[in-house]
Parts: sequence; structure tokens; C-alpha cells
Amino acid sequence: MAVRTEPRSFCSCIAPEATAHLITLLTQARLVRVNQTTEDIEPWIADSWTRSDDGLRYIIKLKPNVLFSDATPLTADDVVFSLAAAYDSASAIADSLKIGGKTLHATALGPLTVAIAFPSVFSPGLRVLDAMPILPKHKLEAAFASGRFAAALSVTTPVNDIVGLGPFVMTDYRPGERLVFTRNDRYFRTDERGTRLPYLDRIVVEIVPDQDAQVLKLEAGDVDMEASEIRPQDYAPLKRAADRGTLRIIDVGEAVDPDSLWINLRPAAFDRDPRRSWIQRDELRQAISAAVDRQSFADTVFLGAATPVYGPITPSNKKWYSEEVPRPAYDVTRAKRLLSEIGLVDRNHDGLVEDASGTPARFTLLTMKGQTALERGAYLISGELKKIGLTVDIATLEGNALIQKFVSGKNYDAVYFHLTTTSSDPVLNADFWSSTGDAHIWNPGQKSPSTVWERQIDELMARSASALDDTGRKTAFLEVQKIFAAHQPMVYFAAPRVFVAASTRLTNLTPGISRPQLLWAADTIAVRH
Amino acid sequence: MRQYIARRLAFSVLLVFVVSSVSLLLASVAPGDFVTESLGAVVSPETAARARVRYGLDQSVGEQYGRWLIRVARFDFGRSLVYDRPVADLVPERAANTALLALAALILSTVIGLPLGIFSGSRRGIVAAIVRGASVALVSMPPLLTSLVLVFLAARTGWLPIGGMRSSTADSTSVIDVLKHMIVPVVALALPIAATFERLQSQALADTVRQPFVAATLARGVSAQRVVWRDALKAALVPVASMYGLVVGSLLSGSFVVEMVTAWPGLGRLMLDGLRARDAYLVAGCAAAGTVFLALGTLVSDAAVAFVDPRSRQ
Repeated sequence: MAVRTEPRSFCSCIAPEATAHLITLLTQARLVRVNQTTEDIEPWIADSWTRSDDGLRYIIKLKPNVLFSDATPLTADDVVFSLAAAYDSASAIADSLKIGGKTLHATALGPLTVAIAFPSVFSPGLRVLDAMPILPKHKLEAAFASGRFAAALSVTTPVNDIVGLGPFVMTDYRPGERLVFTRNDRYFRTDERGTRLPYLDRIVVEIVPDQDAQVLKLEAGDVDMEASEIRPQDYAPLKRAADRGTLRIIDVGEAVDPDSLWINLRPAAFDRDPRRSWIQRDELRQAISAAVDRQSFADTVFLGAATPVYGPITPSNKKWYSEEVPRPAYDVTRAKRLLSEIGLVDRNHDGLVEDASGTPARFTLLTMKGQTALERGAYLISGELKKIGLTVDIATLEGNALIQKFVSGKNYDAVYFHLTTTSSDPVLNADFWSSTGDAHIWNPGQKSPSTVWERQIDELMARSASALDDTGRKTAFLEVQKIFAAHQPMVYFAAPRVFVAASTRLTNLTPGISRPQLLWAADTIAVRH
Repeated sequence: MRQYIARRLAFSVLLVFVVSSVSLLLASVAPGDFVTESLGAVVSPETAARARVRYGLDQSVGEQYGRWLIRVARFDFGRSLVYDRPVADLVPERAANTALLALAALILSTVIGLPLGIFSGSRRGIVAAIVRGASVALVSMPPLLTSLVLVFLAARTGWLPIGGMRSSTADSTSVIDVLKHMIVPVVALALPIAATFERLQSQALADTVRQPFVAATLARGVSAQRVVWRDALKAALVPVASMYGLVVGSLLSGSFVVEMVTAWPGLGRLMLDGLRARDAYLVAGCAAAGTVFLALGTLVSDAAVAFVDPRSRQ
């Protein structure tokens, strides 16, 4: 298979990037796993668990006779160690393992029993541990104690020293070329017939930075799969290979994290700007939403392989998506009326709207250079908004510069970008929904909610986080989505369909919607002989 | 001559220092930093600040540059943030791979370009016109396009490896395997350069054969072929030889895209990784290595000019 980038670490707990994530999936295991096809949480190296009546404590029994790849038995101490290491200063998963800013605590109650205490009731429960690999205490304890935890998992560590509970062990890493994984004969899982997993003997991960070259390799049978979904423009050539019978293209469903547009809503962002009377108003975003024909957007930007969407929760997120959330219709007349409500009217009949002082309404939309869907989408939005008299200038920036721009919150009007979600469970994406969150990207890290509707969302999210029954959570989150739809701090247009391609010699694939769509269940993939 | 070489070497050292310093400073002041790139768009300010302290990015650009200068004085070029390895280890490994490509491309383009240039510069007719036309087309083709077309052909025919430096199944020390993998990137790099050489050589030879000394030699009864290959060619090699230094520079810039498309683990790809991640020490190290290539190329080019044109030695 092929990936595009070098690993930054041998563990995603240190480097939150795709290749490190892949290495971690192949070489490590977790207490529990979120099944990417059902979105349900399932025991992994945990055998079973119970929750205390107050919802604050989980007692977890570990599977017996589980061995690390170096034959050391797994014990509760490894779980305790892994949770402590997850809060190391170099850890990339520390924030995601904090509940309301407070840490979880693990205690070993026996060789194979561990208690995990939550600082407050937390409805997703053990789902929060899906990102935490259970690491070998005997290999990493000394490095952790001496503040060298990240170094012990760095890409300069000899691959033989990377010990895990995953289905594979890394046997070779050639920077710039490839990573090689071979079967972990001590892997704990068996299939229903009792055959020890994984089925594959070896996985070679080629590092191919150019995606066009990756597609050609896939088409030619040089690699069996890509680590992630195929691009819309690659569908046609890969379909030809599929028609020849060498490849299989699998439609996994709509993406769970569609591209979105937002206006800078930080209170001080337009203090000395003559546009402050209209640019942060709800009506502007509602007008943008009404002015874009989403079906045409899906057809043009994603070459038809997309579904119109109206909010951050797409139909693929089956548990949390609701048809009850309002969907603004494509209505240019309404869009113009909304603009007139905030004083933007075509005063000189030149087809463009002006504010009360006669200045044409205009803003700059930043997007990421080199991302076809984003660039195409931004230009299409600009064209659609021209029809209601709004002038939108597109500026494309290199990824790092763009992120720095909107994270700083300074000197930007609006952004069209792809923000990835960390989980399908909204409570685990609280930093997006809550006004204090860092992913509340239109106005992040607020000390107190700056609008009434954000306060309402905060309260509902808090209720959803502490409700231990699903019905209560769903009711609260439906309200959140309705409020979000009314104010549209972020405007969504279309969710692309996710297609993954794999060689027909691979069998037993269970594609999920999130990356890596095929290798999340690498232990059950097999090769047809 | 010794003084001349010493002066050129001193200039090269200064050039390497200036280019790597400017690269480091530009990579440091560019918007975004390694933390933004590696931790992504949404991370708490505290986590980002902790990471910046860990990587030394909390210091001003001036302080970072000063620290780098002190290290460089001890031949320590810093540690790459992306690869978590000393730049001094990383760059030579990749530079050697790039040098392998560049040298092979240079040899191939010379072997193809110069004879074709002599042919098209000394002959008329349909074949010479085809050579000239093909060269013009190839000169205008960027290496990105050439490499994509070649990778496409390799994928379609299955005759050559599509990318990488070694097969995952082959013995890692197999020279044949590496040579097979070199064909696509080397040809992608060499074709536009061979075309450039052909055009230069053809033009220079055409100009030279119009010189009075050629007419005089022909008038003495020396055969046209002998005049072209013995007398005119030596004079016509001067402009081509003086281009070699620049060609080495263009080989490096061409190798950036070719290495990306063909997944060749060279300096260009390394530098691009460094630039994307704002890994300033790595960028500076790659820029220094690139400048060393350029300086060496210019030196070789000057030596070649001195060889074919004795007047330039004075």
C-alpha cells in the first residue's frame, strides 16, 4: 500500500498525523475500539467492563494471556502506565483524554483488572480511550520517567525496539522509501474458527509523496491500496481498472467532515473596519447559505459524487444525523432580502450591493492552495455570491500559512477549509461545539459565550455530556443542531462520497468511513490465493 | 591557476553560507511553523506553546539563527524537526541519491545532446529538422510533465518500476534493481537537458562553420567531416561547456518535482518536506547541499571551458 508522508513518530500518541496513525493501528492495540462500520464501541484488549452507578468509575477486566510482541505478558500496570504516558508533555492525545480540562486516573486492582476514574460523568464513557494505545511499560517506563518518552518512540528508534500488542510488528523503515510490517505471531485475536489473526504475513507501506503517482501505482497493480480515499478526479481511471477486474472501488458513503465556510466572528476582528455593520451578522451567513445551489455545487466541485449537506453532521453519521434539522433551500430572492436586512442593497444598480455609505460589499475568502476541491469550491461560492451582488475575492494560501492565519484570528475575513473531526460522537468533538473550544474555529477559546445562542449550545452540550441515557443525549444534541442551523456560524454545502480502491486480490475488507478506511481492521484483511 | 581555484573555493564557501543562512531565515519567518503544521488547525494554545518550547521555536528568529551559527561553527547543522535526526546525517544520505540521479542525467543528456547538436548543426534536411523540432518540444516540456508522462508509460506498459529507489521484494543492495528504478527519473531529468545541449551545440556549430577559418581549412582541401569533428567542434564546445554549471543548477530544481513524482528519496523531496513543515534547519541544510552542487558544477564548467578554450586560462 502507499502513503504520502514520512512518519513523524512511531506512535500517533506523539505525532497526530496519518502515517504515525497507521503505524499505531498496525503495531499497537487499545483497550476498546470504535467499530468504523457500526460506530459502536467494542472490547479490544479489554474483555469486559462495568460502570459504577454514579457513572464516574469503570472497572475493566483485561483479556487473559495477551502478550506483547516481545512475549512479555500484558498486565493492568501497562494500562496504568499508558494512561499516565498519554498525559506526558510531549503527548498529542493529552487534550483529547481530558474531561472538562481534568485528567482520567487509572488504578491496577489486580493483574488483569484496572479501574478508570472519570473526573465527572461523561456520556461517551470508555469511547474516549479509542485513541489511546496500550504501551509496554517494561520498554518505555525508563524513558517516560526521564522525560524522554517522545524520543523512545521517535523514528530514529530501532524498529526492533518498537513493541506492541498490534497485529503486526515493524521490521524495516527506510526513510523516503518504505515501512515494512510483518505478522505479530503473538497477536491476541483469533477469528471465529479459532485461526490466529492477522491473516496477512506482511504489509509493505511505500512512501509515495505524489498522489498522481500513487494512483498510477494502484492502477498498475504496484500497490494494493491507498491509505485513504481516492480523489474525485481519480475515479474515472480507477474505474477503468475496476472494469478490467484488477481493482475494486468501494463506495463507503458521504464524508463525515465536509468542507465549510466561516466568517471571522471574533468580536474585535472588524473593530476598525467599515464593514463591521454587516460582516459578522447572522443574515450574511444565511444569505450565503441560501445563495449557493448545493446540488450544482456537488455536481461541479465533486463531479457529482457528493450529497448536499446543511450542517456539520452528515448522513454518514447515522447515530447523530437528523432529518429534523432545518435545511435552508436554494433561494436567491431570500438571499437578497437577507442582505437588504443588514443594509446591503444595490444602490447604484450596477448589480453589486453596497452598504449605507455606498461602499460595495466585498470580502476575501481564504482557502488552501493545491487542494482541488477547496479551490474549486471557493471559486464556485464566489460565482454564486456574485449573483446576489456580493463580491468575494479568493486568496489561496499554502496550508501552514492558512492555518496560522485563522488560528491567530487576525487579518482574515472568511475561510473555506476542511476541518477534520476527531470522532463521530459530538461530545468527543466538544471543542468544536463549545464556545471555550479551540476547534470553535469562528471564535475559539471564549472566556464566556459571546452570543446567546452559543451559551445555549454550551448548556445543551454540557447536558449531552453528562446524560447517561442515549435518548437524553440525542434530544439535547438535536437542539444543538437546530440552533447551529439557525445561526450557521459555519456554512456547509456538500459532503463528497468517499470511495476507496483496493486490488481485487484483497478479500475480507470491512471499509469504514474514517481514515484509514480499509486498514482500521488490518488484522482481518486477507489475500485471495 | 592555483590562486584562481582558491579564490573560487573561497567564493563557494561564502555562497554556501549565505544561501543556507537566507534559507533558514526565510523558512523561519514564513507564516506558520512546525507546530502549526504538525499539530494541525485546532489545538489548545497551551499545548502549542509547550510544543514550541520543546522544539525551541519559542525563541525569536534572531536567537534561533544565532544558535544555529554557533552550532555550524562546530559543524553541527542542527536536528531536523520532521525526521528527528541530525541534519548532518540526513542531508548527505539524500544528497548522494540526488547526485546519483543528477550525474546519470548529465551523462545521458551529454551523450544524447551533443552528437545530435553536431548532427543538426552541420547538416540540413528532414532528419536534422526533426531533431531540431523534437528538441524545441522537449526544451519547453517541464520535468514535471516529462516525469508524469514517463510514469504513466511505465504504469501502462509495466516495463519499468513506477517509483521508488528499490523494490520491496528485491535485495536492498541489488545494483540492477536500483538501476531499473533510475530509468524513469533519469530520463525525465535528462530529456530537457539533452534538448538544451542539442540546441546550444547545434547553434554554436552552425555559427562556427560560418567562420573564415573553417572556409580556409576547407579551401586547403580538408574534408568537411574532418573540419566539423576536429576544428569546428572544439571551437563550438565553448558555449556548451560554459552552460554546464547552470545545467547542474537546473538539474537540482528539476529533481525537486521528479523526485516527488517518482518517489525518489533525494534532496529535492527532503527539502520540500522541510519547507512544508517549516523545518528551518533541514531547509538550511538542503539549501547548503544544493549550493555545494551548484558551486561544484560551476567549477567543473569553468574547468571544461578552460580545457576547450585556452584563452580563458589566462
